[in-house]
Amino acid sequence: MSDTDTASEDSSHELETDGGVAAEEADVNYLETEINLLSPSTPFMRDHLKVVWGTFAAWVLIVWGPFIATWLAPETMTQTIPGGFPLHYFLIAIGAPTGALLLAGIYARQRDKLDEKYGIDPSSVESGSGSGTSEEVTATDGGIEE
Amino acid sequence: METLPLQADALNIGFKLLPAIIVFLMMASFLVIGYVFKVADTEGMWVAGRGIGNIENGMAIGANWMSAASYLGLAGLVALAGFYGLAFIVGWTTGYFILLIFLAAQMRRFGKYTAPDFVGDRFNSPTARALAAFTTLLIAYVYSVGQARGMGLVGQYVFGLDIIPMIIVMMTITVGYLALSGMLGATKNMAVQYVILIVAFLAGVYVVGFTQGYSTVLPQIEYGALFSELGAEFSEPFANSSPWLWAGTAFSLIVGTCGLPHVLVRFYTVENERTARWSTVWGLFFILLLYWAAPAMAAFGVNLFEVTQGVSAFAAEGGMSGAEGDVIVVLAAQFANLPEWFVGLVAAGAMAAAIATTAGLFITASSAVAHDIYSELINDDATQRQQVLIGRATIITIGALVTVTAFNPPALIGQLVALAFSLAGIVLFPMFFLGLWWENTNRQGALAGMIFGLVLWITATVNSTVLSEPFSPLLAEWVPAIGAALVGTPAVFIVTIAVSLMTPEPDMRTKRMVRQCHSPEPMGQQQSAEDVVTGSDAPADD
Repeated sequence: MSDTDTASEDSSHELETDGGVAAEEADVNYLETEINLLSPSTPFMRDHLKVVWGTFAAWVLIVWGPFIATWLAPETMTQTIPGGFPLHYFLIAIGAPTGALLLAGIYARQRDKLDEKYGIDPSSVESGSGSGTSEEVTATDGGIEE
Repeated sequence: METLPLQADALNIGFKLLPAIIVFLMMASFLVIGYVFKVADTEGMWVAGRGIGNIENGMAIGANWMSAASYLGLAGLVALAGFYGLAFIVGWTTGYFILLIFLAAQMRRFGKYTAPDFVGDRFNSPTARALAAFTTLLIAYVYSVGQARGMGLVGQYVFGLDIIPMIIVMMTITVGYLALSGMLGATKNMAVQYVILIVAFLAGVYVVGFTQGYSTVLPQIEYGALFSELGAEFSEPFANSSPWLWAGTAFSLIVGTCGLPHVLVRFYTVENERTARWSTVWGLFFILLLYWAAPAMAAFGVNLFEVTQGVSAFAAEGGMSGAEGDVIVVLAAQFANLPEWFVGLVAAGAMAAAIATTAGLFITASSAVAHDIYSELINDDATQRQQVLIGRATIITIGALVTVTAFNPPALIGQLVALAFSLAGIVLFPMFFLGLWWENTNRQGALAGMIFGLVLWITATVNSTVLSEPFSPLLAEWVPAIGAALVGTPAVFIVTIAVSLMTPEPDMRTKRMVRQCHSPEPMGQQQSAEDVVTGSDAPADD
């Protein structure tokens, strides 16, 4: 293994990087809060899940909507649209995959914005500074709003 | 077992010098790249040193993903099965979005080597690890059979050998370069293979479309004009499948995307979780470059088949056979009377696609045996050298098994591959999803869920694919092997959650590992969630 990173030697560095934490921002210890998809327990999880569920709902509509519509109303859905395609064929063969790509881009953008909001820069620790033990994390986590 | 016609009658089989030179040069370049980037340690063999960037990983995701099933099988399904073929387009693309929002970055933070590693460490169970390793092997095996068949069928156009020697030659080359190079070589090769396969495929679509007067600049849209000539079979909804089978197939492929070990491992190879996210977006884009064009190629191929063969592709007698459908991409170029070297290029792209995916699958299979079974369960003190040796032996063994099975496969390329997806979607996806998103999922729940899922998939597969007469027609109708996840995945979720609720919660260390996967705080490139929780700087495989 070429792994030479240590968690402890980086703790001082970690302390420097959270200089932007405002006094009113509560420290969240991410190792002490429950992970439950249905009841997010940290502000970050709540913000993240808003993006996740919002884009997921759009995905369901774009990917499964045309299929269900074709099943329920085949006459309407098989009408020819300009360009020669039957409507259902166009929406499923071209619309659904393209929609998924756009949503993926939207999600990744929104998630990057969350990183900004919470003062996180993943590339800053590329060479590998650890977050340390759970006790240290309490003292060194990034700027959290609220 | 139903036997398929072994070769595509309409394909011009025989040795062709220029295409053979193209294929030979391509293979030689794979071996050279594999040799230059050859590796001797496990970190390089399995996760490429965790240093792969956005676009390169996106291309690797694309090449790893687009196998003979995408390059050949997809257009074949769209050509032969009409509207049902679209379930494969939807299933094989839109699942990446689910993978992105729920799993990619969290998996990168978990930071292990393999899918069984995740299952074993998350649920603290060597048995769970062994079950996941077994599933991984089974997936690699089923999936690769489709690739071997694709390589054999297309190789015939170029080399003119009988299908069986052709499959043997192609598989030997694939295994040879893999055993030499490992994952780093494979990842470098995948970027190259992606470029070859996408250029070859798009060149095929554009040139066929242009020379035959179907299209000019945007064949991906222009094939719409052909619908009036193609016959109702090409687009009529639910003519070849019930809505239930359509939904089941698309659903299985979507959840399968999120459960496939060789897809998952691509996220372990990237620098950080932001790269994991963006390379998923890039990967989907690179995949769509082919998926937008595949139905166009299918439409051109069907129309050309009718023009050149003088019979409807969908006719019961003299219509397009399964083997012909499987090589429709190459056939279309041949029917269009394009120069031999050009058809050879299109065929070479199919081989690049098949080899790249087989490489990814065999690497995950070899790590499942060498890492998850051998060093984690059998020999704790295994040296790196021993692990690499065992890994190579696994690649050779599974290569031989796949080769023999491909001589007489039970289904079309696309359908064989879809079987592997339904297995991944039923057994592994619920473990990944619940394991990452509900910290109270425990060992007992995971074991019950995985065993239930495996039994369900094996039953459905034996019932509707292996046997020529299903022992239960009712089961075959409602839980067809190819769409088994529509029933299976929710059922495994329910079993896992119910058993987890009835048994004690996992310990605090495990919960903290899950929490670390969702924390916004950056982690080191070589660090796993476990390192953070235990506060150790130990290598990730301890």
